[in-house]
Amino acid sequence: MMAAVTGLAPSATVRKGLPYWAESYWAMTRWHLIGLRMWLGLLVVVQIMAGAGFVLGIALFFDRIPVTAALFVSTGVPVINLVLVGLILGPQLVAEQKVQQSYDFVRSMPVPRAPAAAAWYTVCLLAGLPAVAVSLVIAQARYGFSFSPSPAIVPAVLLTAFTGTMIGYGLGHAVPNPMVTQLVTQLLVFVIFGFTPILFPAWQLPHWLAVVNWWFPFGHMAVIVRAGLTTGMVTGIASSYLIVAVWGIIGAAASAWALGRRG
Amino acid sequence: MSTAASPPVLASTTRSGIGYWVAGLRSMLRFDLARARQWAALMVVIQVLMGVGMALIYGFFYPRISHETALYITTGTPALALIPLGFVMVPASVGEQKLGGTFDFTWSLPAPRSAQATSTFLLFTLLSLPGAVLALVISAWHYGVSLSISAQIVPGTLLCALTAVSVGFGMALVIADPLLTNLITNALMFVVLLFTPIVYPPSHLPAWLFAVDRALPFYNMAQVIRAGLTSGLVTGLASCYLILMGWTAAGWLMTAWVVGRRH
Repeated sequence: MMAAVTGLAPSATVRKGLPYWAESYWAMTRWHLIGLRMWLGLLVVVQIMAGAGFVLGIALFFDRIPVTAALFVSTGVPVINLVLVGLILGPQLVAEQKVQQSYDFVRSMPVPRAPAAAAWYTVCLLAGLPAVAVSLVIAQARYGFSFSPSPAIVPAVLLTAFTGTMIGYGLGHAVPNPMVTQLVTQLLVFVIFGFTPILFPAWQLPHWLAVVNWWFPFGHMAVIVRAGLTTGMVTGIASSYLIVAVWGIIGAAASAWALGRRG
Repeated sequence: MSTAASPPVLASTTRSGIGYWVAGLRSMLRFDLARARQWAALMVVIQVLMGVGMALIYGFFYPRISHETALYITTGTPALALIPLGFVMVPASVGEQKLGGTFDFTWSLPAPRSAQATSTFLLFTLLSLPGAVLALVISAWHYGVSLSISAQIVPGTLLCALTAVSVGFGMALVIADPLLTNLITNALMFVVLLFTPIVYPPSHLPAWLFAVDRALPFYNMAQVIRAGLTSGLVTGLASCYLILMGWTAAGWLMTAWVVGRRH
């Protein structure tokens, strides 16, 4: 009898260390994959179709599409594929949890914040990668490009997905009102497709908008991904890496602050 | 005592006839207008932002905007403002009413359901016009395009608005699950915005794709409106009008079929 009761008592030691971290990370990754299993398949398909649609559809805007325009779209669509899940759907999911009041339950799970965030990052990355590959293959077939990915593509992809996911994570967790989160994310979709130099060069924007964009990470994400896929197309990669990284840290810090609060 | 307890007696005759229908329509219009006060202004704002936003975004994709490109984008703007209203906002509003239970309540009101549907069509058609006009004005100013406006813009725009609202409403009624409707309308928007020659000439399309677009309402809406804003650019208007009328009728048939069923 006594033994059974002690069995239920929480352990007196605080669990920590790398094995506990790894175990939490793996548990949360499985949690997300299983929780979203219906959605993930659909999401990957939708991402692939949207990516392919954009790569193919852009040619219709022109009588004969200039090579630069095709190249910008083809190397910009993967960026959108990479950030869409983490930046847009992630905060919407969290907002939904807040509305449905399952948010506190998820927060109460005995998992440290960092592996929980790392698990979510992994899921977002996995959901984006298939579409990145398909978009690039279709662009090669349609426009006859031969992309020459350099090793730099690996940090570019990882960092782009990280920053997108962390900004989304911050939006979801640090913005208290779910309605605001929904509104901001819907606005972001619009902005990312049309008002940031991802799918077209910055000089096609009005000057002031190009200047504003320099302070935001989205155009720079396209710069670093483009640098990993092509040669001689982009310059000023170092500052782009820096700005994307800073935004990733801001997003992570905002989430950490929001999740670390009690109450 | 016994008179007070007896329930109010329902009329034993079925009310019918033109007079009753018109009275029903008038009450429903009053009812719908009163409800619309909450969101009508916001809807016009969103519509203008969407229309103008899309008109600007299309421009960013071109390295150099020729007069022809600017003319196509500007004259496509009203269609860009009407299409999301009819095909996204109307189904979304029906979906919201279905989920919230107000949809069934409205149907239970003692007015003919055909009068109720007519009231919805009238209301949304009228509400969609200010946004479309405003978006056109801003777009024409931005691109510095001078238009030659003819009288046929009035029936043309009215028909386009009616078509968009009718098909959107019919679709929202025929598809029972609001989430599925949401998915379909969003996918539809993506396809329409890329693959329909609204802001670029149809000569950019492969023949088979243009054949598909000619049968759907979107290209025809753009053409009918463009014909009222330019001279000599649009030919074959009669078939555009006919196809739009056909789609309007289809929207009404879908509505009538669902409204006529009891459930």
